[in-house]
Amino acid sequence: MTQEAQTSAVPVLAASDVSKRFGSVVALQHIDFEVYPGEIVALIGDNGAGKSTLIKILSGTLAPDSGTLLMNGKPVKFASPRDAREAGIETVYQDLALAPDLDVPANLFLGRELRRAGILGMFDMLDVRAMRTRAQSHLDTLGVKIKSIDQRVDTLSGGQRQSVAVSRSVFWGRDVVIMDEPTAALSVAQSALVIELIKRVRAGGTPVVLISHNLPHVFEAADRMIVLRHGSRVGSLDPKTATMEQAVSLMTGALAATDLRAAAAGEADDRG
Amino acid sequence: MSQLVTGAPAERRAPGRFQLGWDVALRLGLLSIVIILAIVFTLTAPGFLSAQNLENNERQMAVIGILAIGETFVIITAGIDLSVGSMLGFSGILAALALGHGMPIPLAIVGVLVIATLLGLFSGVLIDTASLPPFIVTLGMLGILRGFTQIFGNGQQIAFGNSPFTDFAANNFLGIPQLFWVLVVIALVAAYLLHCTRRGRHVFAIGSNLEGARRAGINVRAMTFLVYGVSALLAGIAGVLLTARQAQGDPNAGTGYELDAIAAAVLGGASLFGARGSILGTFLGVLLVQILTNGLNLLNFDPQVARIAEGALLILFVYIDHWRKRRLATA
Repeated sequence: MTQEAQTSAVPVLAASDVSKRFGSVVALQHIDFEVYPGEIVALIGDNGAGKSTLIKILSGTLAPDSGTLLMNGKPVKFASPRDAREAGIETVYQDLALAPDLDVPANLFLGRELRRAGILGMFDMLDVRAMRTRAQSHLDTLGVKIKSIDQRVDTLSGGQRQSVAVSRSVFWGRDVVIMDEPTAALSVAQSALVIELIKRVRAGGTPVVLISHNLPHVFEAADRMIVLRHGSRVGSLDPKTATMEQAVSLMTGALAATDLRAAAAGEADDRG
Repeated sequence: MSQLVTGAPAERRAPGRFQLGWDVALRLGLLSIVIILAIVFTLTAPGFLSAQNLENNERQMAVIGILAIGETFVIITAGIDLSVGSMLGFSGILAALALGHGMPIPLAIVGVLVIATLLGLFSGVLIDTASLPPFIVTLGMLGILRGFTQIFGNGQQIAFGNSPFTDFAANNFLGIPQLFWVLVVIALVAAYLLHCTRRGRHVFAIGSNLEGARRAGINVRAMTFLVYGVSALLAGIAGVLLTARQAQGDPNAGTGYELDAIAAAVLGGASLFGARGSILGTFLGVLLVQILTNGLNLLNFDPQVARIAEGALLILFVYIDHWRKRRLATA
């Protein structure tokens, strides 16, 4: 992303000064978060850093105690995941939300099946052919290779299944796609497949929020990394200049954000 | 989801083929068993192919078939409805009482079906909203409805005299009992709803991955109400038809029919693990149960032998389905 785009662009999705607590546990305090058009932002942090809470707020599952969400600069409120989906934010969950007994087009259109036009549609009739055609062309566009999309999803490999889940979110996520641990439980080769797919999603213009424990994957895919620790944002890193040691020390608190800024360039050009 | 971890590509392709062949093999296997049984009974059982026997079979099959179709909807959501036999008896007694008190036939039928449907929706509420296990809710309903049926019937048959109502069950249309035509119409409508509509697709999705279906925006609650409502409505229809056929209300009608309905659906390929099943399969399952029962009866076996065979087949088929599921998960 060029310097010019960075200064002029409005974040597609942003959280401003968001806090959330569960009883006496502070899950998030005064978090700022932003995704710009056409970038992959990784959200990293140790267990309990607040990644999941932030994701749930962005995807409408949780409401923040304070702070605001902005889409394209305008404040938004999500009462449910449905609201977020309707606003154009899709989430790929860690435990796949696919229906393993259904085929690929049925999964891509799950809950949003196309109906036949006219009278047949009034009788709730599925337009199986249109869904199949559109599913195939969508997968082709994203370069997802599946021998036959008429296969039941549980006959696909783990990587293919994750690819179907990612493809579904891109298909419906007009503005942002959030991916929660998309490479967890995948073999090396299968992970590489999914990472390539995530990059193609970005190339297609859809910004991605990526949550992962796997730092090599994050460094490979992300344009920018936002580090959370104990519910606070402790820094932001550029994968091109930062090292994995820096990321780890920031995540674990071995290194303060201010030290790091001196070491690996500041917030201002960390997306350069 | 541990099955995310996958093996080499070669290992992966195997379950795919295995899976695709499975449905076809199951359907063809079932059809061949039906045909073989029919041939065996034709050769050995006196009067198996007589017009009288065929008509009796078709009438009885209509009642069981309508129950089994409702059961199929429920089983595909990975649920179970144990109350269908009691619901049938309950509706039959209500219809007999209403007609015996001189209620007009259409009003009596509609009233009974509305009550049955509401009771089914109530089961759906308990299952979805109160998160109770389907087998407990419907087992409770089995007892409750049978109890009320006995009280209403005072433990006796309820006569209501002959009428166009009983004529309907006695008459044929194009040489086939009208009761059987009712089954055919219901089966066609059910097949359309289940296999060709969005809501039908949602029934499968819920059985495949309940939480995933919910996250995909499917109205799981409404669909749960719907499947238990449909099952109860169809059990109500079966009860009304059986009362018409017998020209009296029998408080014991439908006792044990839940076994017939569940066995027919499962023999027809419906999986108790959800997301599998079809109306055509269930229809073949009903055919198998009916031919088996009738053939053994004609061969002068103790009627209980058919019951034993049916129960054993049910367990065998669920075992095979379980084995398939495990093989798929470990592949």
